[in-house]
Amino acid sequence: MMRFQRFPTAPARLVLAWRAAALVAAALIIGVLLALSGRNVFELAELVLKSTIGSRFGLEDLALFMTPLILTGSAVTVTSRIGLWNIGAEGQFYLGAIGAAGVGLYMPGSPLLVLPAMAIVAMLCGVAWIAVPTLARAWAGVNEIITTLLLNFVAGLLTYWLATGPWRDRVTGALASTGRIHVAIPEMWGVVHWGFPVALLIACGLAAIMTWTSWGYEVRISGANPGAARYAGMPMRARIIAVMLLSGALAALAGMFEVAGTVHRLQGGMADNFGYLGIVVAVLARRSCLAVIPAALLMALILDAGIVLQTQQLAATVVLAITGLVLLLIAIGDELAHYRPVAPAIRPATSSSRPEKKVTA
Amino acid sequence: MAEHDIPAGITPPSVPPGTPPVLQLVGISKYFPGVIANEDVSLDVRSGEILALLGENGAGKSTLMNVVTGIYQADAGEMILDGYGVQFSSPQEAIRAGIGMVHQHFRLVPAFTVAENIHLGWSETPKNASSAILEARTKELSERFGFPVTPSARVEDLSAGEQQRVEILRVLARKARLLILDEPTAVLTPTEARDLFRALRAFRAEGNAVIIISHKLDEVMEISDRVTILRGGRKIGTWKTTECSPRMLAATMVGREIVRQNLLLRSENAAPRGTVAELSLENVSVRDDRGVNTLADVTLNVFGGEILGIAGVAGNGQRELTEVLTGLTAPTRGQVLLGGSPAKSGAAAFARQGVGHIPQDRLHSALAPSLGITDNMALREYGQPPVGGDGLYRASAALALAREIADVAEVTIPDFAMPVRNLSGGNQQRLVARREIRIADRVLVAAYPSRGLDIGAIATMHRYFADLRDQGVGIVVVSEDLEELLNLSDRIGVLCHGRLMAVLDAVDADIERIGLLMGGRTEAPGAGMAAGQGADLS
Repeated sequence: MMRFQRFPTAPARLVLAWRAAALVAAALIIGVLLALSGRNVFELAELVLKSTIGSRFGLEDLALFMTPLILTGSAVTVTSRIGLWNIGAEGQFYLGAIGAAGVGLYMPGSPLLVLPAMAIVAMLCGVAWIAVPTLARAWAGVNEIITTLLLNFVAGLLTYWLATGPWRDRVTGALASTGRIHVAIPEMWGVVHWGFPVALLIACGLAAIMTWTSWGYEVRISGANPGAARYAGMPMRARIIAVMLLSGALAALAGMFEVAGTVHRLQGGMADNFGYLGIVVAVLARRSCLAVIPAALLMALILDAGIVLQTQQLAATVVLAITGLVLLLIAIGDELAHYRPVAPAIRPATSSSRPEKKVTA
Repeated sequence: MAEHDIPAGITPPSVPPGTPPVLQLVGISKYFPGVIANEDVSLDVRSGEILALLGENGAGKSTLMNVVTGIYQADAGEMILDGYGVQFSSPQEAIRAGIGMVHQHFRLVPAFTVAENIHLGWSETPKNASSAILEARTKELSERFGFPVTPSARVEDLSAGEQQRVEILRVLARKARLLILDEPTAVLTPTEARDLFRALRAFRAEGNAVIIISHKLDEVMEISDRVTILRGGRKIGTWKTTECSPRMLAATMVGREIVRQNLLLRSENAAPRGTVAELSLENVSVRDDRGVNTLADVTLNVFGGEILGIAGVAGNGQRELTEVLTGLTAPTRGQVLLGGSPAKSGAAAFARQGVGHIPQDRLHSALAPSLGITDNMALREYGQPPVGGDGLYRASAALALAREIADVAEVTIPDFAMPVRNLSGGNQQRLVARREIRIADRVLVAAYPSRGLDIGAIATMHRYFADLRDQGVGIVVVSEDLEELLNLSDRIGVLCHGRLMAVLDAVDADIERIGLLMGGRTEAPGAGMAAGQGADLS
């Protein structure tokens, strides 16, 4: 007789195994549903594989999707390390895009000067955007989830206004977009620009900071148990402020990379949910800065596959439903990873010796 | 001293012929997993009397009353109401039978008015009644029972005393004949307490019964007709209040047979007791958010090489005292001196200056349960080499530190990356204790160090303290367990209502005197206070 019991911790191996099972289950469910609606599932699957990981073009696309996802995912992950949620990565992304576009459109000079200026101004804009929620959280205990979320809508509208108003393209008269910015992040591999390796480096750097600095240690303790941080006399407020501002800067950098690397202009709606998907990436990464990279890869795969399916006359809502299904099954898998079989305590001899071992364990 | 000789479990005075007691409990037992909350408790309450239920924390008073009011069901024994056996499966049934309880923490809806709270969940509330009708009914009830309230006021705007009147009125309106009050004066000012007692006497005069839970001896002497004392979940006895003295009640409540182990015996090469205070508080007061002084004018010295026990009923300023002693809270008034000079503020600074702290709730304040054992063991030393320094956190050095702590704590750990919450409570406590002892060059403050531990783990903890004392470190042990304090301490301070009532030399501290001081009484005011001043010099 085997009995399953819920444990408070889930070992990484089990999580991975269950997630793999969840992905397989999702693929099966999607396949069956598509087959039932009269589509050739194998043809579709082949097409999806070929145009994502099966071809150079597909791989380039994946890297382009991953770049902003790594950054917004990192932005959400760093706040989650201290027990907070930055739901405003979308808004900070827009502000980063605005800052970068402002510099890129109106600052003359060589890309060697303009690109760093774009990045710095973008990050400062992101920091400014999250500053009010940060201070409200640190000094007045105002819930950062609400304040960061609501500012997203302001940022989105601000971008539309700039792109269609003061900064609109007066040359070609394109709608909802500024003119083309004269500098761009250089490309390194097809359409993949140098923002991709930088994003990877940033994710690794954040992981190193969290693991190998006393600052990271304080953030981890504060996030795991504020009571323990207070007990040890850690400067919690300073850490909360620093982490939230860092988060705003990371999301804004994603906006700068999109402006300078992919879109080359400021466009209304250009954040394309990358900020919100950053939350999904952070949830998938389970608060690990390094795991943001594979989580962003999975998210990019889903997005990319979605685009391929749309070219095959599947509605965009179907793609959204598929995304939702994958995430739902992964969430179920994560929960299942908490369950482990326990040996039933039938014989008193074993039941009395087992706990003894546990005590010393 | 004759009262002392009353044997435990004596039968109460016989019931006047013809009138059965309002409530009679016979052999009530209630067990929780691994805990005996009540065992074989028998008592009775008669009409026209106020019975005080006295006992230390954890003596089983609240559990017993929860059984009476139907929140818990007894595992054994019977309840006899007006001569008939009853069983309550819910508090609603108990109130229908005329037993009403006013809990220590009020159960009112803050956003509702007094009238709405009184009529909430009451079968006699008229359907679709306007607030005017409810308020008129409330006014009538308030006058009938003599508990003045403002029917239209919102409960959240009322003082604690007014809220309590609403609670009592709520119970009385449901025709309670037996009123149970759980530490009713804990939240009241002295004037409010006097008003409450007057109303209770009026209630008694109408032939009703009251059970009042308290550990304030003065109150018990003032208000009750009889006293029942519980200890360790069992009834010790019932006495007529007129035959009792606070002294005798204190001794009976705490228990007399206290075994002194030889932990007080110092090893041969032990460091002598210090003559200069390592840590001192000078006229320290702490005021909480509501402006209440939770610690009032405390002056206290902790010397090296001694164990100072802090006795008192929980909630009398112990938390604030430990927080001030460890730098977690800055005093509102007064001064904290570390090694003779004003202490730098902040818990981290105190830790660096050699103050260790074993807090009351290990898992929630001394550890980060979800993080690994290594990270948790580095909590006190991550700022300095070898773990810290140059802004780095050296995981390998932290692991070495964790191994060292686990070794001296004699805890075998297979995987130091394992979340610390996977360890047993006893092992967590050992690790925290050793981690704090490592940094405690001056003073170790331990709050309720044996809470939640079994006897073996408690003995280990006490041995740690004795060893540390012999190394010349000053140790402050906060506990409710007088036995523990007398076994360990060189001096014992007693807290009551945030005041340090006295600091007694443990050699001539007797349990009765400590019990009286815990209850806020200084039986010979001169002597008690003088001891408090004088003991600091020892």
